[in-house]
Amino acid sequence: MTRILIKKQLTEVFSFFRKDKKKNSYRTGKNLIGPVIMYLILFAAVASMFFVMAENICEPLVNAGMGWVYFSIMGMTGTALGVFGSVFNTYSGLYMAKDNSMLLAMPIKPVNLLAARLSGVYAMGLMYELLVMIPALIVYYLTAETGILTVVFPILVTFVISFFVLSLSAVLGWVVALIGSKTGNKSFVVVAVSLVFIFAYLYLYNRAVSLLQIVISSPETAGRFIRGSLYPVYQMGVAAAGDIKAFLIFTAAAAAVLGIIYFVLSRSYVKICTAQKGEKKKEYRMQTSKADSVNNALFKKELKRFTSSPNYMLNCGLGIVMMIIAAAAVLIKGDLIYEIIFDTMGLDKGFASVVACGAVCFISCMNDITAPSVSLEGKNIWILHSFPVSGWQSLKAKLKLHLVMTVIPMLILTAGIEIVIKPGVLCGILIPAAAVVFVIFMAEFGLVINLLLPNLDWSSEIVPIKQSMGVMAVLFGGWVFAAAVFGLYVLVYNFIGPEMYMAAAGLVLAAASFAMMRWLKKRGTEIFENL
Amino acid sequence: MLKIENLTKKYGNKRVVDDISLHIRPGEIYGFIGHNGAGKTTTIKSCCGILQFDSGEIYIDGISIKEKPLECKARLAYIPDNPELYDYMTGIGFLNFVADVFGVGAAERQERIHRYADIFELTGDLAQPIASYSHGMKQKLAIISALIHNPKLIIMDEPFVGLDPKAAYLLKGIMREICDNGGTIFFSTHVLEVAEKLCDKVAIIKSGRLIKTGTMDEVRGDTSLEQVFLELEADND
Repeated sequence: MTRILIKKQLTEVFSFFRKDKKKNSYRTGKNLIGPVIMYLILFAAVASMFFVMAENICEPLVNAGMGWVYFSIMGMTGTALGVFGSVFNTYSGLYMAKDNSMLLAMPIKPVNLLAARLSGVYAMGLMYELLVMIPALIVYYLTAETGILTVVFPILVTFVISFFVLSLSAVLGWVVALIGSKTGNKSFVVVAVSLVFIFAYLYLYNRAVSLLQIVISSPETAGRFIRGSLYPVYQMGVAAAGDIKAFLIFTAAAAAVLGIIYFVLSRSYVKICTAQKGEKKKEYRMQTSKADSVNNALFKKELKRFTSSPNYMLNCGLGIVMMIIAAAAVLIKGDLIYEIIFDTMGLDKGFASVVACGAVCFISCMNDITAPSVSLEGKNIWILHSFPVSGWQSLKAKLKLHLVMTVIPMLILTAGIEIVIKPGVLCGILIPAAAVVFVIFMAEFGLVINLLLPNLDWSSEIVPIKQSMGVMAVLFGGWVFAAAVFGLYVLVYNFIGPEMYMAAAGLVLAAASFAMMRWLKKRGTEIFENL
Repeated sequence: MLKIENLTKKYGNKRVVDDISLHIRPGEIYGFIGHNGAGKTTTIKSCCGILQFDSGEIYIDGISIKEKPLECKARLAYIPDNPELYDYMTGIGFLNFVADVFGVGAAERQERIHRYADIFELTGDLAQPIASYSHGMKQKLAIISALIHNPKLIIMDEPFVGLDPKAAYLLKGIMREICDNGGTIFFSTHVLEVAEKLCDKVAIIKSGRLIKTGTMDEVRGDTSLEQVFLELEADND
């Protein structure tokens, strides 16, 4: 039974590969090659970042006879990325699936259903973890002298790590569900708990960066620190480096942790799945409603969709919080930032302006609100299709939400940065101008990708929000665009001034945005109307 | 009011609707009957502009849905067989959204929401999120939302599924009242007794083709609609 359920769960996770909307059928055989290749290209593009990281630390550590430290570092990074990738969908993936009632009514043991739901969370975590571990393994095999143990064990440890990722994600999802079942406003609870987790994660990440610097400069110190303070991580590193005893200890620990969590979760699973919301029923009393325009109605619908879904807000609107926090941080630590930029790094104001613009764009990419917005229509798509609204009107509302949610915090961040770096009048205008054009570009890019890779058949909203190739492409693609457009300045700053560069970058992005807008108005609208 | 001319819709090479023609006049309640998978929903969705079709034409109030889909949609309301509504909205939020989209003024919408929500005993629940509604409540909300802009044509796919007996009775009354006032209703149903009592005309579809159309008296003759339907199904096997 569990196998059947897991198969169903994984089919749903990977349905975006298989669904062929044009033929109203599923792709099989060679027709799957195209989507799979696209996914692999995207995967390789993201994994290349971790390839660079692995290359930097692998050789010095292996040469120093401390390959285990290398695996400890890469394993921690993989765990962190895996948890970060899967944790936000755990609550809805485990407890909120639309087919819960149907499956619970069937002769299926709840523990089997839980195992199947966990398999979806596991697949997601593994996918993210492999972004780190595949390049880590490749670099290791190319750098170190390997035998059977040092080839096989790192692979085995990679999969054991994925069970730790699953355990951590499942615990957080469970905590959110427990708190949510006792309070009325689940959206608030989920967002609050998740934000606490994000900031804890960022703190630990910050510490990890410091550790990485120690690793490169003094591997022995890093080794002592890991062995002394992070014993499970030490066992993980030693196990991956080919130590059978450490591998057995590490695997047993992973199995025990997962077993305990599975046991605890299984005891409350049905109760949480079937819990009634703790909200008091509000009695409606007739009152006059204000009439609104069609476009405003569509925008308000999109806004409601966004604010009513913790998954949507956390996964696609994190940039809002991050930009506001960054703005506050920039103002609070203004003196230090000024000192680092102008004294330590020796940048001039023009260069700093371009870097600031790039940084703002980079952070703004954490908002990818349009990327799943078409797929999120799901089975409700008939409503817009049957109403007297054009596809373009619907798409425009989605774009508008992305722009409103991103441009406002982005301008706050830009203002904070400009107070600190005092860029001059022209640069002061061009930084927010170029950044706004970039946001428009990204909003359209997200919509284009979602129209090309729509998925309306889902039972949990996390599928289009998180488990979709398109959303990943937009999120990571945005970072690549921001880095490429503004990083290019490093190569040309001797020949072109910052004002000219930002104006040129803005114009290129505006031209691309214009082209995408035309595509959206014509082809995009056609696609939307025929979904 | 609704004219379907030689409608054909294919999925791949399979013709799910094959050369259908129907003409539904103002004031008529037109029933659409057929077994599961016969092509009823595909035909209905084509009429509402939800599905594009391969050949033929559909006119709403004399306007081609192919050429001017938005003008056609402004004249009609559609109620699907499974009312998947926006779970994240409240009932009243959804009704206001629909009213805004169809350009219904504040006073008119207030009056219609008041009237139909009271009839279907849904007023007290309108502040609740749709996610908390039962299937029947969603169906009632979908019906109210369809009536909110006073459409000339209402197209319904199995409208009685999920409704309690009282709501089903009330809906039949509303349907009759709408058509008596010049409106038009085209709906599919498996409940032949309802079709027999309610419809002015009826069409029977099998495997994408119309096998019988006409007034209720013409179609059923001296027997019952159920008898005719079963005989036609058997004849065409």
